[in-house]
Amino acid sequence: MEGIYKGLYDFVQYFLGLGAIVMLPIVIFVLALCFRIKPSKAFRSALTVGIGFVGVFTIFSLMGDQVGPAAKAIVTRTGLNLPDVDLGWAPLSAITWGSVIAPFAIVLTLIVNLVMLAFKWTKTVDIDIWNYWHFAFAGALVYIATGNFFLGLLATGIAAVVIIKIADWCAPLTQKYCNLPGISLPTLSSAVFFPIGLLGNWILDKIPGLNKLQADPVHIQKRFGIFGEPMMIGFILGVLLGLLAGYDFKGILTLAIYLAAVMYILPRMVRILMDGLIPVSDGVKDFMAKRFPDRKDFYIGLDIAVAVGNPAIIATGLLLTPISILLAFIVPGNETLPVADLSNLAVFCSMIVVACNQNIVRAVIISIPCLIGDLLICSAASPLITQLATTVGYDISAAGGSNITAFLDGGNPFRYLIYQVFSGNVVAVVIAVVVAVLVFLTYKLTYKQTHPEAVEN
Amino acid sequence: MSKKKRILFVCATGIATSTVVEEKVCNYLRSQGIDFEADQRNVGSVPSIGNDFDLIVATTQIPYEVNAPVISGLSILTGLGADETLQKIKDILAK
Repeated sequence: MEGIYKGLYDFVQYFLGLGAIVMLPIVIFVLALCFRIKPSKAFRSALTVGIGFVGVFTIFSLMGDQVGPAAKAIVTRTGLNLPDVDLGWAPLSAITWGSVIAPFAIVLTLIVNLVMLAFKWTKTVDIDIWNYWHFAFAGALVYIATGNFFLGLLATGIAAVVIIKIADWCAPLTQKYCNLPGISLPTLSSAVFFPIGLLGNWILDKIPGLNKLQADPVHIQKRFGIFGEPMMIGFILGVLLGLLAGYDFKGILTLAIYLAAVMYILPRMVRILMDGLIPVSDGVKDFMAKRFPDRKDFYIGLDIAVAVGNPAIIATGLLLTPISILLAFIVPGNETLPVADLSNLAVFCSMIVVACNQNIVRAVIISIPCLIGDLLICSAASPLITQLATTVGYDISAAGGSNITAFLDGGNPFRYLIYQVFSGNVVAVVIAVVVAVLVFLTYKLTYKQTHPEAVEN
Repeated sequence: MSKKKRILFVCATGIATSTVVEEKVCNYLRSQGIDFEADQRNVGSVPSIGNDFDLIVATTQIPYEVNAPVISGLSILTGLGADETLQKIKDILAK
């Protein structure tokens, strides 16, 4: 008996030791078969995911090679200490997909959603399987911290329930402002900020003078449009860092062009990963559709990306780009240099903008404290994220020995709070209770705003 | 011989939802024997390159003025009304 147990243990350990590039394709292959996808197609899909992984990690080291030494030079020259490299959400999702908990988290999230639908606790049918990684990431952090797999799954489940509920909550507003009939947006990275936006908007509405301010999205897009293109952000940031590092002309331009390249190529690599996930995603869609054929009174849960074209959201995201860079340099205790996630600020702010009824000035005011929180949290979480990355086979020397993190998704306050609560931090438990009470109060205070149909009746 | 038509697929980051739509649209157009080129970007890049394309398929609003017709790819994501959208795309390219 003991021999069998030992054999099983050895097998699991061996499997985990394979690293993400080998393990994830195997997981995807098995998942695809479970959703009745033909073996030939499942194999192709699994291999594509593996290729995407190789691509992401390659660009990733390229970035570390360039930013690492520049960050060191900046430290010695200016005393600014920003050693943690911001990879952005994309590699973070890749790392999470490669973690042990991911396949279980996908199945768990599906079950959680089905149970909630069956008991009419939600209207959202979450078919957005890519963003299940957000829930899995919460679980992966807890699993790493506690070593307990079931606590990790519990954390995943809690994250899924909360986000699906918030998606229901903000659906009337996103449908109204973003032209998305019958759709809700259960994406953790933006949904978390919806209650904060509502509360902030409620407070700002009470401040005389401030509550009159407005800004024109078209004007902002013209002035700040350059921050809309990832390659331009990369280039400008490269020049800025090169200057701070005291590089010569050649050094500055080399860094700028490399960073522009990273920002331009990275999404294409992640895209390959996504391509490979399409068959599984379609399988989930069919699976959900079959169980809930009468989808008329349901919301279909999609990626927040579909909302980001709203002019006010884009304009706010553009304004927040230079603000974030400035904050990184002046916020005490921040150790992260925002790079890759700078092009995702529109995603971050989208639900705040919606909660402010598309008022850009208010959205920017509310976003700033949130961004400061994100910076501090992603700096604090960087050792943990680096550790998670090493367990899926990331070579730590790639970023010149620096810790890695992700400005927005590594700095997400909701996930970090879950992680702290599960790590047994008493203060975090108290904060969690306070937050829950505040969210409930916000719901009551802003009931009319989020229930337009109730007002009409 | 007419020039190859160019389609731009757009979403918030140019990564996730536009990939799904691009895959579906490209498979459909190939099955219909239509010759085309495709590229994929984030919505913020549309002002600088949008006018190089004959058609834009977006999963989000395009808050800019562009010469090319813009078609919403949302129905392809949700599956409701996807066939009509594919037909519309084909009609535009056939012009």
